[in-house]
Amino acid sequence: MSDVAGATTTKRARRQGAGRYGRLGQVVNELDDRLGVAKGGRTFLDKIFPDHWSFMLGEIALYSFLVLLVTGVFLTFYYIPSSALVTYHGPYLPLDGQRVTQAYASTVNLSFSVRAGLLMRQMHHWACDIFVGALVVHMARVFFTGAFRKPRELNWTIGVTLLTLAIANGFLGYSLPDDLVSGTGIRIAYSIMLSIPVVGTYLAFFVFGGNFPGTAIIPRFFILHVLIIPLVILGLVGAHLTLLVRQKHTQFPGPGREENNVVGSPMFPVFMAKTTGYLFAVSGVIALLGAFAQINPIWQFGPYDAARISYAVQPDWYMGFLDGALRIFPSWSFMGFGHTIPFEVTIPAVIFPGIVFGLAYAWPALERRVTGDHAIHHLLDRPSWRPKRTAAGVAVLALLSALFIASSTDVIANFFHLSLNTVLWAMRVIVILSPFVAYPITYKICKELQGVHGAGKRKTPNLVVRTDEGEYVAEPTPAYPEDVLDELEPTPVPTYIEQPEAESTAPGVRVVER
Amino acid sequence: MVRRPPLARVSLAAVAATLALGPLALLAGAAGAAPGPFQTTRRDAGTPNSSQVTRNASGQIVSYGDKWITYRAPSSALTQLGQALYMENCASCHGTMADGVPAPGTVGAYPNLVGLGPATIDFWIVSGRMPAADPTAVQAPRRQPRLTPAQAEAIAAWINSILPSYPYIPDPHVKRANVATGMALFALNCAACHTIEGDGDALAYATFAPSLRHIPAYQVAEAIRTGPGNMPRFTGNLSDQQVDDIVAYVTKYIQHPENPGGFGLGQLGPVAEGFVALVIGVGLLALIAYWIGERA
Amino acid sequence: MSDESRTPVALAGLRADDPHLEPSARNPHVVEAVIAALFVVGMACVAGFGAAYWVNAKPWILGATLGGGLLFLGLGLIAWGKYLMPRGPFVEERHPLANDAAEREALAAVLVDRGASVVKRRPLLGGLLGGGMGIFGIVALFPLLRSLGPLPKGTLFHTDWRKGSYLVDQTGRRIHEGDLAVGSIVTVFPEGTENTDRGQAVDQTVLIRLSNFNYVTQKGRATWGPKGYVAYSKLCTHLGCPVGLYEQQLQLLVCPCHQSMFNVTDGAIPTFGPAPRPLPQLPLYIDAQGYLRAQADYDQPVGPGFWERGRS
Repeated sequence: MSDVAGATTTKRARRQGAGRYGRLGQVVNELDDRLGVAKGGRTFLDKIFPDHWSFMLGEIALYSFLVLLVTGVFLTFYYIPSSALVTYHGPYLPLDGQRVTQAYASTVNLSFSVRAGLLMRQMHHWACDIFVGALVVHMARVFFTGAFRKPRELNWTIGVTLLTLAIANGFLGYSLPDDLVSGTGIRIAYSIMLSIPVVGTYLAFFVFGGNFPGTAIIPRFFILHVLIIPLVILGLVGAHLTLLVRQKHTQFPGPGREENNVVGSPMFPVFMAKTTGYLFAVSGVIALLGAFAQINPIWQFGPYDAARISYAVQPDWYMGFLDGALRIFPSWSFMGFGHTIPFEVTIPAVIFPGIVFGLAYAWPALERRVTGDHAIHHLLDRPSWRPKRTAAGVAVLALLSALFIASSTDVIANFFHLSLNTVLWAMRVIVILSPFVAYPITYKICKELQGVHGAGKRKTPNLVVRTDEGEYVAEPTPAYPEDVLDELEPTPVPTYIEQPEAESTAPGVRVVER
Repeated sequence: MVRRPPLARVSLAAVAATLALGPLALLAGAAGAAPGPFQTTRRDAGTPNSSQVTRNASGQIVSYGDKWITYRAPSSALTQLGQALYMENCASCHGTMADGVPAPGTVGAYPNLVGLGPATIDFWIVSGRMPAADPTAVQAPRRQPRLTPAQAEAIAAWINSILPSYPYIPDPHVKRANVATGMALFALNCAACHTIEGDGDALAYATFAPSLRHIPAYQVAEAIRTGPGNMPRFTGNLSDQQVDDIVAYVTKYIQHPENPGGFGLGQLGPVAEGFVALVIGVGLLALIAYWIGERA
Repeated sequence: MSDESRTPVALAGLRADDPHLEPSARNPHVVEAVIAALFVVGMACVAGFGAAYWVNAKPWILGATLGGGLLFLGLGLIAWGKYLMPRGPFVEERHPLANDAAEREALAAVLVDRGASVVKRRPLLGGLLGGGMGIFGIVALFPLLRSLGPLPKGTLFHTDWRKGSYLVDQTGRRIHEGDLAVGSIVTVFPEGTENTDRGQAVDQTVLIRLSNFNYVTQKGRATWGPKGYVAYSKLCTHLGCPVGLYEQQLQLLVCPCHQSMFNVTDGAIPTFGPAPRPLPQLPLYIDAQGYLRAQADYDQPVGPGFWERGRS
């Protein structure tokens, strides 16, 4: 901004130079002189975003990640990543005088003694749960609509990597307070590392700086959690969005929507208003959750101590499927040739997630290979059009959900007053059956949906009119004003012949559904 | 009208019902655990293990002193009443001599009550577990007691008159206790079964650890000292002061958890939190997205 | 409201009175009033957040004002965009990203021909440089990893239990033979380690009194359970959680993490769940003063399985 006093002449000169768009036009000129932004900026502001609601799911993830960054920075001001033992003194009496690590003490302190500290901590945790959840939902949308197909395989790969990193970083952050529940999780993570054949012991010792628990793990988790993984996530998010802009959005087929165009709203002002509003809404919902729903009350759990344990400790929801897999896997350990391979840990906790995520990475290539479809696709599939892909996706989701439920066998047994052992056996059966039940049911539903002509769309009635000559003519009624876009697809050739209804003998006009 | 195939309709209905019932259950759980007031007074850490343990000739503990817990023998004046109550309520299973030998023809095996100590007898009766509603159940659940505390004491008095034994009925002085020590001991000794939030959970086979939410202080002490059912007994390994600390922590904090962060979600931990995050968080945001965008 | 108004059009060159630029709201004034109301409520909430922060209000008040403010402002902005901005729909051409064959060939030619002319002419240099980089990669990896932690060596094979170690509880009090009644359990450590990380994590042991008389859990362990005291490692053989859950009537130790069940009367053999091996048993004896002490260290590594762990 220019100095006000004595600047009238230059001001006027500038205004004249700016032309009809005034000061903003002047700013554009100055910027374009230096950066050449006019053309690209205009293209960017004109960029068309499809209006379908499911395209906003990824934005939940993006904006909850922003909330994570902001609240996370706040937390780093007060959190001390240290395993050094201190005596806690503070307002929460049951901890007063207990020997705890600095990590734990500082987390309790920032919850109780820092202004808005508890709110920020809870928002951070809720944002994390929502972040991973939104990633999964977004990924499901992309999968079931075939948005990962050529040319977008690379972006799918980046997305799967983002999910992996988000889960990993969520676990690291969950571990940082060093409370009883998360400490048990670290203990389990250490044992899982130990279980890897040949290199496991070395891996565990290098990651933890020695035998469990050691004092190195909290600072190491901290730097991974607040610097290294967020940086990678940030970079990949940037790449994800750059690819999105470069390749333009996919869209559902519809009137005027073709492979060679994008239909929707422009970046400025419509999409910008909606998406900025959505950013506010996402942060607002997270803040409200942080206000009213308590999450991870570590003061009730107490500090971690390797000899203490609580029953019914569970990881955050996105790790639940691993916990469930560990619970239901039988005790198959290989011992021989002077070595032990703890398959009861390696298979459910290392090999199985490896297969699941490997399958996710490989899916675009697998599908290309199976279908022989190497064409470029910008129009999306409806899930029911691709029953096999949809059924496969649902089968995997069913398996993971069953494993997630299996991580609560004790809660189920307690709630329904069943034997814990019975519930566990039932979950073993359910987990194995779930994909095989989910696949055919989904397949059948997709087929049924294909068979229903125009399902989900409003019908326009036909008027059957008798002319003066006594001839019957079917005339479509005028559409409802809102319905113009929702034209129905042509009627498919019937697969079976319907019994004709008895002809109405009444003369005049009859309305039938098309 | 949208016409959907029947299978799709059924599955949609199932999904909708699941989503609707989950939060309801959570709300029901949350309503039970109201946020407690925040205490701000502070106490010094208690002195370590100052109880005066007295042992008998065979090394068994007969007394801990009464600084932290007063152990009260059931009044011998109640013996007569106790015998009558016993014959009416207990003798059909445990036998007329309280030795676990029931009347001929009764099916099942029943514990011998002689020598268990008044605290054991008292605990089972005042917690409503005895007389048992279903003697064949794997584990008797806590119920509304059929007999009053005075009647329970009378029965304990009669059984104690057959063979005097320990422990007596405890009366912990929780005002003197140190809740910090109590929390540490709770995490080490109790949380493995009752969970760190004290909600209890299902254990091996059909057994379960009961919730600690609504249990009077003296009954918590009785359970610790006598080890009812599958619960281990804590005798010489916990001093009276330590028991007192645990009882104080349970009655003050487990039963009145401090939830400064909002609703406690039934103190159910990450499972409930994940449910809220997915259904309320992601679900609500997806609804907003559904409003923002077009639907076709 | 004709059909043409809903056909997608390109943004460029649109006339100012084109129906695509009209708001989609039927009665914009009402919508505007509603949005204004949302903004006012949002502003009030945000201002309330400032005030609540100033007076250090309770977390839920802070969160409610902050969240309410953001949510109301957001909903208003969304409604503005949805109802009062150009309704569209607009269309944008999608040009193929791929270049024509000539361009591709030119790039390939640069990579192959120019590269080959340089590298193939000096194969020795290329090989040496590649070798140097490769060795650097390997060499850099190992010291980097190696400096992160010590080598495992025998760490996982031993605990701090020694011949004659006293059993002490978490306060350091020695366990006397009269301390535990039948059906009691206590977590014990070798004396001197009860306050160390390693003592907590590796040496932790559960001491259970099964009877008043010498108890034999397995063949060859005739003297390990004096006066009914038996001691097992508290580390689950599945994932190393503390097996602190003792059911005295079922005589089971249950792991609270994944519900492995160990029969304490039978050498802690796993009877259910994912744990593959029994909990190692600590041989005990009672000294002349009546204190419980260890005969020796565990006869096998405690805790979860790992590659170097031999059979047994």
